[in-house]
Amino acid sequence: MDIVDKGLLQQLVEGQISDIDVDEMRRMTKKDPERFWTYLDVLQEKVTWDNKILMRLNDHLYIVMNGSERIVKCDCGQEYGDYRVNWKLHADIQVRDTQDSMEKVYYPSAAAPDADWMEVREFYCPGCTAQLAVEIVPPGYPLIFESFPDLDRFYREMMGKPLADESPDWFKDKTTDFLAAL
Amino acid sequence: MATVMKEGLRLPLEKTLAFKLSERDTTYEETGCYWGTKELTLKDQDPIKYEQFFSRLQSAVFAAREKARYVAASPGGREMGESVWALATAEGDTLAMSLGFISHCAAFPVSIKHMIDNDFEENPGINDGDVFGTDDPLTSGAPHPGDTYTLVPIAVEGEVIAWACSVNHIMEAGAPQAGSWPVFTVDTFMDGFVFPPMKTGENLRQAKWWETLWMRRTRAGAMNILDDKMRLAGCSMIHGSIHEIAEEYGVEYYKQACKEIIEESRRMILDNMRSTLIPGRYEGSCFRISMLKGQQKIWKHADKNEMVHVHTMFSQDEKGGIVFDTEGSSRWGYHGFNGYPGGSDVGLYLGITTTFAHSCKASAGVNMNVDSIYHEGSIYNPDTEFASCANIWAQSMQMQCLSSSAIHRNFFMRGYLEEAFAPEDSWDGVQGSGVLEDGTPYGFTNFEWVGGGAMGAYPFKDGTPCTWAQHTQLCNVGNSEEFEYLIPPLHHLGRKLEPGYCGHGKYRGGVGQSSVHWMQETGQRLGVTRGGSATSMTSYLAAGMNGGYPAPGVITVTALNTNIPDLIKADGDTPTTAGEVLAYAEDGKLTGDITSWKYDPPEQSMGDNDLWANAAGASGGWGDPLERDNSSVVEDIRIGQLPEDFAKTMYGVVASKDEDGKVTMDAAATKQEQDALCASRKENSKPAVDWWKEQKAKVESHTIREELLDMYRSSTSFAGYDKHYRNFWQLDDDFEI
Repeated sequence: MDIVDKGLLQQLVEGQISDIDVDEMRRMTKKDPERFWTYLDVLQEKVTWDNKILMRLNDHLYIVMNGSERIVKCDCGQEYGDYRVNWKLHADIQVRDTQDSMEKVYYPSAAAPDADWMEVREFYCPGCTAQLAVEIVPPGYPLIFESFPDLDRFYREMMGKPLADESPDWFKDKTTDFLAAL
Repeated sequence: MATVMKEGLRLPLEKTLAFKLSERDTTYEETGCYWGTKELTLKDQDPIKYEQFFSRLQSAVFAAREKARYVAASPGGREMGESVWALATAEGDTLAMSLGFISHCAAFPVSIKHMIDNDFEENPGINDGDVFGTDDPLTSGAPHPGDTYTLVPIAVEGEVIAWACSVNHIMEAGAPQAGSWPVFTVDTFMDGFVFPPMKTGENLRQAKWWETLWMRRTRAGAMNILDDKMRLAGCSMIHGSIHEIAEEYGVEYYKQACKEIIEESRRMILDNMRSTLIPGRYEGSCFRISMLKGQQKIWKHADKNEMVHVHTMFSQDEKGGIVFDTEGSSRWGYHGFNGYPGGSDVGLYLGITTTFAHSCKASAGVNMNVDSIYHEGSIYNPDTEFASCANIWAQSMQMQCLSSSAIHRNFFMRGYLEEAFAPEDSWDGVQGSGVLEDGTPYGFTNFEWVGGGAMGAYPFKDGTPCTWAQHTQLCNVGNSEEFEYLIPPLHHLGRKLEPGYCGHGKYRGGVGQSSVHWMQETGQRLGVTRGGSATSMTSYLAAGMNGGYPAPGVITVTALNTNIPDLIKADGDTPTTAGEVLAYAEDGKLTGDITSWKYDPPEQSMGDNDLWANAAGASGGWGDPLERDNSSVVEDIRIGQLPEDFAKTMYGVVASKDEDGKVTMDAAATKQEQDALCASRKENSKPAVDWWKEQKAKVESHTIREELLDMYRSSTSFAGYDKHYRNFWQLDDDFEI
């Protein structure tokens, strides 16, 4: 296999692909560079809104163009604001900090983290309640900013198609600015 | 021009190891190419000859591994995958590796540099066929003293042109706490038999005193001597092969071709990174508890509990190579979870070599594409020469999983979903020592749950059990090897997958495995502990994949003075997993002193009919559990991998299994339960910004347990993480954390 076509990629995205096809993809000597564009096509067709997807962040979350802004958006349409701010700050959060509540998500009970030391943080989309992320950390731990891609560099250097609105400012973490304004 | 001779050596300066090491670094600094090799001249001129040459090198190391294990080896050395044979350049850069521990390519240059920097060329001399050994994390790059190296220089007319290298994980490391990974250590003097690079033999033969050392300083001396012979046998084979190849191709061709091989692989590995990664910043965290309070009464400075923090930032350099910064990870401490940079790299490179050193010659080319940053004073780079490194493998494996997690997130974001999964799985070793009834002392390590972890969930399917091991490059699917089921007092009462034990999600992680060891004929004395990855006090990594739960830590359950003989007499129904031990105890069927440990237990003195149950190898989930197909949940119940009550709690699936094993789902009740779970998310959550304001108040008022405050103080003693922490909680510069 030299290239993964759109139909096969749709099967992969939907979790309906055969193990044989997956094995063939893994045996590709060189990954197909066109995959990214095909991926964006497949994802754009899945969502109900028109914002142009720049990158997929998560099962449900995308970095999209919104006028002159680059924002994080859920496939349900919920918007999370500037992608340079950790999107978790715009999500809803449930904290499991009792042993009983932790044992509802780990089995057997001996596998559950210790509520005297750790807490389970679950992040939900305010729009559709999808569980977007889970953190298991001690109380007082800063939220983890899992992925902050340098879109300009990726589009220019790796894909050879620079974004029209390139600016060094796009790769500056704005989480601190956001928190300072609260 | 007159030949400049190195003082004290009968060699022209340019043929000395010290000169070569310096030139390699200078030319790389100036050109960005290995030894300044901008053109692959030999490859371009005669590619067939070049490839044949490389295949001869590769064959030499493959043959060494496959034969040496049958020349002489401990049962563990022969049967486990925890070994590698390699060929390195004169400077220690790997050219070719056998199957096995290939990430140890990070350690060979550390040993060899140590010997060069300390003038070993002059004293004791580095001559053709000499034998050097080491296992010291500080000076040799060993991850921990259980990994033992043999290094044999290959010289032509006095000039060292290569090293034959080997490493394997020995059976017993000779620490006060018996086994391979002592947990209750204070400093390096409690790590066991630790020795920096030293000459232990000549002319491909070890000195007799060397065998005596193994016998006197470890509890499994005979086994460790057999492994020593195994490593040397393979190195001897490589030594012979390279002399033949160098003679056939000529020494000058040999030296130049080796430079081209590494430069070629450097370029191809970089290309593999650039073509699958996305530049950016990817943060990772995980934790490990060290509970020594009350157990280190002799060494008061170690008598404390610590939460060890691992914090990483994965990014790319200007070329597209990997930059991995561990700033924020805890300061080193008086426990066994420290390491030094060489051994930390051995851990980090595990995921990187297997992911990117494909479709090319797997060589030291990978080393030049990774910039690992271990801050001085941290657990990965202690600012003391005496830190204990007995169990660093646990912390370096979690750290490398954070690197892999960033890589797999990149695959997902770029559309290469077939390569993406939740890269985490725990592992566990049962270790100890005893004295048989006849007075024979022994030490042991049971590795059965070391070589067979579960794959994490993919973004399109569940993970599979016993198919992977992120902590070793040769998974043995959790086999119980001959030497493991012959450990005197340990008998399997049960050994199977532990139902429900994984990170759950839309796609669940592979389920972990469990054993119940039944002690019989314990003789005069038996002491048992564990070594391995993080215990169930924490999850394996801190962040799950896209809504899935991270893998749980290792479960340890001990049951002393049990009624197992009564159960056997009654109907033979005895517990077969750690979970079942606890369930039988809760039901009152199993009696005794039963403890579920969320941290490393201190040594347990065990007697007949005591149980040691462990579960490990579970992996992480992917995606929102409420998006999992009901039919997949039902199938998990049918195959016995998911208890019905937990299926309802976790997935909202209401189903029951009849006596014939048929599972019936109540569709209406399931819909109602899942709606209720969804509604509970709304009811029990709040906007993250509101949560942040509440948490900030807790941070500012120090209403966090003292050990965790100590952890934050430790991490914020590094300037970059201090800024990160203060920025997130908006703390003033003068606020005392």
